[in-house]
Amino acid sequence: MLIGAVETGCDFRALVRQHQAMVFSIALHFLRDRATAEEVAQEVFFSLHRNLHQIESPAHAAAWLRKVAAQRAIDEGRRRSRRPQVALEDVGEPAAGAKPSDPLLSDLLRKLVATLPEAPRMVMVLRYQEDLDPAEIAAALEMPVATVKSHLQRSLAMLRGKLVRRGIGESGWTG
Amino acid sequence: MDWLEDELRRALARQESPDGFADRVLARSGRGSSGARRWLAAAAMVVVAAGAGGAWRQHEGNEAKQEVMLAMRLASAPVHRIQSEVRGMTQ
Repeated sequence: MLIGAVETGCDFRALVRQHQAMVFSIALHFLRDRATAEEVAQEVFFSLHRNLHQIESPAHAAAWLRKVAAQRAIDEGRRRSRRPQVALEDVGEPAAGAKPSDPLLSDLLRKLVATLPEAPRMVMVLRYQEDLDPAEIAAALEMPVATVKSHLQRSLAMLRGKLVRRGIGESGWTG
Repeated sequence: MDWLEDELRRALARQESPDGFADRVLARSGRGSSGARRWLAAAAMVVVAAGAGGAWRQHEGNEAKQEVMLAMRLASAPVHRIQSEVRGMTQ
């Protein structure tokens, strides 16, 4: 395994250090719970440790981690679905004066994304956290590209509508 | 690119993992492999012990068999002597 790791450039220790933020953030943005996100991220890396012999290159490792992190986060979200989750009614209003680039607006957007169903929510996380294009998201989530595009369009329209109803638009706080 | 997508990129930017995360992962994954090695060693010891136990039982069985055969030989000698004496008297 050591020889394989040297040949492929896939040293487990280096992969953990390089990709920990990516794996943890996918779980965090999807689940919105730091402790659970850390557990999921740890499981993802233990899974990588068990399957390191299958990894062919550093790029393959990154794609593998992204895909497994998304799958594990979705699975964990389903397990937690019996427990209360963030409902749209629970999403607090941003303080008066919220405008684009405001930390309060970022928090509101994260909460609104958390109210999306699981598939469009993970599509949004991979699109805006990882900057993946629809084809890459489709490969990671094993869904048609057209479905990814549809999730993106509908989610953006929903978010835009919610923000406008709160008086937040391109020109900032208008309420 | 519209302002909402910019805001989403900002809101969903990667976060730092918790302090010590990588160390915890590396420590636990190391424990996992050494734990697996310990299980393999324990399993190997059980197999060796079972094999040794079987060999010992076979050795003991052979010894017992030899003792029985010796006892039978010792017991059969006087019987043969008496049989030959009886045979001589009848002739």
